[in-house]
Amino acid sequence: MSTTLSGPSNFADDGSAVISRTIEVHSSKLASEATDKIGSCKDIYEIERTVAVIKERGYKRIALQFPDELLRDSGLVAQLIRDETKSGVYILADTSYGSCCVDEVAAQHIGADSIIHFGRSCQSPTSRLPVIYVFGKQPVDIQHCAATFDQLFAGDKAKKVILMYDVIYSHCVDQLLNALRSEMNYAGIIKSGVETESNLGYVLAGSNSNETLEANHCGSAGTSGCCSGSSTATTSESCCQNGSSATEKSCSDTTTCRQSKATSTLQQPPAAAALEESSPDSSTSKRRRFGRTYTLPEGDQIEDYSIFYIGDESPTLSNIIMTHSKCEVYSYNPEKRQGRFESALVNKALMRRYFLVQKAKDADVIGIAVGTLGVSSYMTMIQHLKALIESKGKKAYTFVMGKLNVAKMANFMEIDCFVYVACPENSLIDSKEFYRPIVTPYELEIALSGSMEWSGEYVTDFQQLLPDEDKIGVDKVKISQNQLDAASDREDDDDAGSDEDERPHFSLVTGTYKQSKKYTTNKEDSRELSELIQGTTDLTLRNKNTSVATLMSSAAGEYLQSRQFRGLEVNLGETPVELATEGRAGIARGYKTEDGYLDREKEGY
Amino acid sequence: MDKVTNVRNMSVIAHVDHGKSTLTDSLVSMAGIISQARAGEARFTDTRQDEQDRGITIKSTAISLFFQMTEDDLPDIKQKTDGTAFLINLIDSPGHVDFSSEVTAALRVTDGALVVVDCVDGVCVQTETVLRQALGERIKPVVIINKVDRALLELQVTKEDLYNSFQRTIESVNVIIATYNDTALGDVMVYPERGTVAFGSGLHGWAFTIRQFAQRYSKKFGVDRNKMMEKLWGENYFNPKTKKWTNKGTDADGQQLERAFNMFILDPIFKIFDSTMNFKKEETNMMLEKLGIVLKTDEKDLEGKQMLKTVMKKFLPAGEALLEMMVIHLPSPITAQKYRVENLYEGPMDDVCANGVRSCDPNGPLMLYVSKMVPTSDKGRFYAFGRVFSGTIRAGMKVRIQGPNYQPGSKNDLFVKSVQRIVLMMGRYVEPIEDCPAGNIVGLIGVDQFLLKSGTITDNDTAHNLKVMKFSVSPVVQVAVECKVASDLPKLVEGLKRLSKSDPCVLTFTSDSGEHIVAGSGELHLEICLKDLEEDHAQVPIKKSDPVVQYKETVKAESSIVALAKSPNKHNRIFMKASPLGEELADAIEKGNVGPRDEFKARARVLSDDFGWDNAEARKIWAFGPDGNGPNTLVDMTKGVAYLNEIKDSCIAAFTWATREGVFTEENMRGCRFNILDVVLHADAIHRGGGQIIPACRSAIYASAYVAQPGLMEPIYLVEITCPEQAMGGIYGVLNKRRGHVIGEEQRPGTPMYIVKAYLPVAESFGFTGELRQATGGQAFPQSVFDHWQLMNGVSNEDPKLIEKVLSIRKRKGLKDEIPPLDRFLDRL
Repeated sequence: MSTTLSGPSNFADDGSAVISRTIEVHSSKLASEATDKIGSCKDIYEIERTVAVIKERGYKRIALQFPDELLRDSGLVAQLIRDETKSGVYILADTSYGSCCVDEVAAQHIGADSIIHFGRSCQSPTSRLPVIYVFGKQPVDIQHCAATFDQLFAGDKAKKVILMYDVIYSHCVDQLLNALRSEMNYAGIIKSGVETESNLGYVLAGSNSNETLEANHCGSAGTSGCCSGSSTATTSESCCQNGSSATEKSCSDTTTCRQSKATSTLQQPPAAAALEESSPDSSTSKRRRFGRTYTLPEGDQIEDYSIFYIGDESPTLSNIIMTHSKCEVYSYNPEKRQGRFESALVNKALMRRYFLVQKAKDADVIGIAVGTLGVSSYMTMIQHLKALIESKGKKAYTFVMGKLNVAKMANFMEIDCFVYVACPENSLIDSKEFYRPIVTPYELEIALSGSMEWSGEYVTDFQQLLPDEDKIGVDKVKISQNQLDAASDREDDDDAGSDEDERPHFSLVTGTYKQSKKYTTNKEDSRELSELIQGTTDLTLRNKNTSVATLMSSAAGEYLQSRQFRGLEVNLGETPVELATEGRAGIARGYKTEDGYLDREKEGY
Repeated sequence: MDKVTNVRNMSVIAHVDHGKSTLTDSLVSMAGIISQARAGEARFTDTRQDEQDRGITIKSTAISLFFQMTEDDLPDIKQKTDGTAFLINLIDSPGHVDFSSEVTAALRVTDGALVVVDCVDGVCVQTETVLRQALGERIKPVVIINKVDRALLELQVTKEDLYNSFQRTIESVNVIIATYNDTALGDVMVYPERGTVAFGSGLHGWAFTIRQFAQRYSKKFGVDRNKMMEKLWGENYFNPKTKKWTNKGTDADGQQLERAFNMFILDPIFKIFDSTMNFKKEETNMMLEKLGIVLKTDEKDLEGKQMLKTVMKKFLPAGEALLEMMVIHLPSPITAQKYRVENLYEGPMDDVCANGVRSCDPNGPLMLYVSKMVPTSDKGRFYAFGRVFSGTIRAGMKVRIQGPNYQPGSKNDLFVKSVQRIVLMMGRYVEPIEDCPAGNIVGLIGVDQFLLKSGTITDNDTAHNLKVMKFSVSPVVQVAVECKVASDLPKLVEGLKRLSKSDPCVLTFTSDSGEHIVAGSGELHLEICLKDLEEDHAQVPIKKSDPVVQYKETVKAESSIVALAKSPNKHNRIFMKASPLGEELADAIEKGNVGPRDEFKARARVLSDDFGWDNAEARKIWAFGPDGNGPNTLVDMTKGVAYLNEIKDSCIAAFTWATREGVFTEENMRGCRFNILDVVLHADAIHRGGGQIIPACRSAIYASAYVAQPGLMEPIYLVEITCPEQAMGGIYGVLNKRRGHVIGEEQRPGTPMYIVKAYLPVAESFGFTGELRQATGGQAFPQSVFDHWQLMNGVSNEDPKLIEKVLSIRKRKGLKDEIPPLDRFLDRL
């Protein structure tokens, strides 16, 4: 928990941290270390399954995405896959965002038609390319785990528990479930499922004319080249095949999960089904949280359940804790072979987030930092946030800056608050080192829209925030644009409403009234401009203090006015005209033309 | 109301339990609002149930009274008047220190103050505090010495003793007044012989000034009333044998003469007391006849105290004496605003608004100061309670509502809205009115959404703000509250907002760790606030944490080494040293005597003259922090650094941040001066942007503080305990246990009561009152008021005790359970 909430600690980083950083590789058993390299590689990376899928779909250019700690095996894996499939195989590394997210953009650079994602995954749904997840199997001592489970729940056999796990342990969950159910007689255990493929479903459903709903979905998402390459795929048959092949490998798949629990959903393609909050089947309620699905028996509330998580401390675990704040969460660490109660700190963490919500409420200028290019409908989310921010008369700026760090973020002092659109596991950034708070879309939603209240529930997955029609809509952008227009129309029409808006709100951060600045949307901007042009009298009313008459509601412009330093002074006519001379050369740490360049070299800083 | 010359705005101020509300009652009864019989018991102005239950005033309450003067009294009024009818707007204020912010708010809208002093207890700590506050606002005081009945009945003092006790009390009041020699306000000392001191008993409903007796006797002696007044106080004696006045205490034969005051004023009173209390019916009746008092038939049968009360009330009705005193001696708004304008208005003294305020012109620009919010019967709505200083306010009028942060010319904290309605505040009732001219106190409806606690209302575009009130108490005690049911949170938040509105002093906010904090001036204040929050404002069950106090981080010496910090890209370096600012300067900044708004040259002069700064350095103060006006400074001491002004904004941002969250406990810093000694910047603007400079400057500040003998400061209360001698032992015991130390101990002259003054850390004060009562059998009653910040022993990162303290604060705040090591902030070359 603590590791994930502290965020980057590069406060005046001297760079040595990068060199001395120990990347946690110990948790993954690498195939290249084993004696039987190829054998263990095949086993850990599920080569067989992967190859089967590739062959079946006929993918030609395959991108393999490895996280840093598994890169050593990448060559071997690529070799094996190339040998088996005869397809073009490319290895991607050093992702722009988190390695848990599928890097679709990088894959598109090489024109790949599918991605195989290795290692830990946040299971965020993707939008463009078919993805096969290979988690890499890590061993778990089932007996010990079961014994720990027994210890933690103190033999309360009727206890309702949801079994969750880090994806790398997904292969042995069924065994554990069996052990717990049959040997220890725990009755109320529910297993959650994870996906091993995503987006394949669109392709499948594409030719299924009976299911029009899915066909719509397909039309929106399956725009990339993968459609043509897989037109041979059959419909639900292959879906079942998929499922069964996965079961053989004792790998838990959403499809298998559904097979055993709710057969009615079987026909649906995985991605589409997974996006639904609850299945139409009245006897069960299906929930999906960052790629994990579980089905609660009828009448049961999630509050009744405890959660048992297999895996060590990770963003996944803290995500589960945050989003299930009303459940007790226990964890078992297969590495250290110990179990513990995790929920103790969750309230503190949630309170801290609550504070950030209050800060966001006070912000007039909000930066939308884009932290993903892979998670599906991130564009919709950005549009949605923009519309939301602007409908409140605040100003939004969008930033694309890869991985966040303190120095980068502090360059934009005019921004009062950032909202970070990223995959659920990367969303929770809480470091006091940042000059401005960074909130999640959910928190901004609470802060700005009056419809939601802070209730202790927490959502890290921004997909749950989007209105239903936006989720997989063709006209995503259009819809938000409509909303935006509607919002500004409302403001235009309703003067009484604007009176309401003008009212200062009570800021809990400072304990005083906070008057929001108003940054009008473009529409009103133009109107204002035309008014200004028409009536020159406006100009005479300008304030003595401001040198520029109207800044046209530009937050950055306003900030510049408040700064003491506003760039070099323009002395028109006073600076003599000179010929252009050659500028600097070299790198930023010390240009070659600069004085003292050599000294600095010697200093070696 | 329209005749402003005949309006008197005054507040009743005093130490707790000196009888303000009781006295106010007798005034109210004059106006016929409550029955004569209940006066003194009803405490009309204590409108809240808990005020009635606890017997203390919590909120100040306003009432308006009419008073009819007789024609021949009018010449005594030394200012312009118009007719004999007077309107008196009276505000009864709380006496407990914890609520002195209410007093401040009351004083702002009034011109005169009735200072109530207990004749047995004398001038107490709170009497002094409120009196000082009043004088600071240029408010003219008159005094009433209350509870004279107690002196007579309980202590059985002699006439001369009583006179001496009066004399002493008046003297100590005058000593305080003398320290505030304000030429604009003139001589405001109180003199019984001039009629600015009254004596009486609020409970029994009687009071007199020397003027009243002088009036009686002037006819008898045929002397001018004013001359008579002078004779009736001080070293004036009447020799009954020679029928001559003298100023010697003995007659020609060396016989002891009786003081005129004792003879002519106290004697009849003593006689009435004696006869009624000792059931000498005959004598009583004789006295009554002599004094011309007619009792009703049913009253004739009364006995003892009841009889005494009735007789005294008829003999010397308190209302009449006091109202007369106020009308004659307290200034009308017109008189008062002439000299108060300088203290009230922020803008230039010659603009149209200043002139409007100065002349109290009902036709001038509207200037109204809202001093507090009074809850209405409508939940969540408030009357904005304030005083019209200039112009006339009308219902429906469009006004500019300027919050405390408004700067002329900006749109910040400014709203243009119309006032829905105007009301007169009459204690428990309100009365709607159409308009209200300058000089009066009103309640406004419809502006409460735009002002949190106080603000200026005007109709003039160029008007500056009326000065923001300064409170003598600060919210140093905090508790965290949370709702028992999580879904009640929105209600709690709304409740916090309302609580913050309803009290001038309380602060409600969310801490970094997401807790809802209510900060008040003391335990009692917090208790009342939390009760209000739970029962009225939020109306949801709440949980509260133990009270905690705020600390401040500071440095005790100059940094032992020059702290160097590099920017994240290593291309920029900042060299910095920290040094203590000095207690005096920190105080001056906190009081607002030195601050960011001063003109920098003038400020530099003050700093070099009074605080020993180098003039050149003093001119290069970049910023005050936290919040732009806190008691820490950032000083540019670099020489010839290129692009320096380019990083100024970033440095100020870092400084504000660092001083808000100190390095050890993330509490505010106080009394630190950070000197930027040198800066090495990268030649490329992009590599020395805010992103590089802010982290670098912040860690330079932290590092320099780290090596400058960092310490913690804790808030200290000044406690004044009144107790009999035998309780002293218990007091010392309790104080010792709680790290308190006694700074003074004196016996109140003429009484067996001792006054112990001590410093007590606020952190140790929780439950202090209760424990003290226990240790002394309920005989000691403490009054605590925040006094100063005191350095705690030791260095934050060395002294084991202090480390423990730091860690416990960190733990409470949910920070990492270790003091961050120095090398996180300090870079090497």
